[in-house]
Amino acid sequence: MFIRSKAHPFGRQLNTGTVRMLLIGLYVLYPLGCLLQLVPLTSGGGAALSLAGLGAVVASLVIFTVLAGSSLHRQTQEPESLLDERERDERNRASFQAHSVFSGIVLIGVLYMMLTTDMAANGKLALWQPTEGAHWNAIFGGLILLSFTLPGAVIAFGKSPPEVD
Amino acid sequence: MIHNRLSVFRAERALSRKDIAEAVGVNPQTIGYLERGDYAPSVELALKLAALFGVPVEQLFSLKPFAPLAHSLRDQES
Repeated sequence: MFIRSKAHPFGRQLNTGTVRMLLIGLYVLYPLGCLLQLVPLTSGGGAALSLAGLGAVVASLVIFTVLAGSSLHRQTQEPESLLDERERDERNRASFQAHSVFSGIVLIGVLYMMLTTDMAANGKLALWQPTEGAHWNAIFGGLILLSFTLPGAVIAFGKSPPEVD
Repeated sequence: MIHNRLSVFRAERALSRKDIAEAVGVNPQTIGYLERGDYAPSVELALKLAALFGVPVEQLFSLKPFAPLAHSLRDQES
């Protein structure tokens, strides 16, 4: 998902440092926000924590919107015909690496679910498991954000682009 | 690794990366990556760049490092 604006048809040029900070912000704020919102839900905690969590999730979505309009995100989402050969090469490499990371995360998640279900069934150890719709929504939303931003993150944390002359 | 003299030719013709990028149909950042030696161009792009500067492709790109211009000038004088 690339948000094209009339002012920046090829995406807004953000410097690498800014993009890296935004990505770190997104990857920290979203899970933190979900945890802050879900913990009170399960333990009957305060509304302040829930509000702080909501704020963090909203902030992460704002960051995602900024990233979705950047030239870096354009490179990962644009049809191939609209990219040059270097951009295509870079995107293919980044997509491969992002796919490996994403698959690893999903596999770890499934393994965790399998083990916790098994342990709970045997009455050994009661680890947290998603049980409510809100839990699954949080996980699903996180995976969507991750899948959209990971290829761009691989590029952003790779080589720095040349300086503008 | 492919070495190139793109920045030398670009400076000689007083062209910006954007000018060259538009002429050969790539992103200006790609010209920067080429100059920095971080990207090896396709044969098509190398030929387009050589044609733009009006030189044979081997004068612009080489598998061996190019001799510094000062050395070339000194060799010509002696």
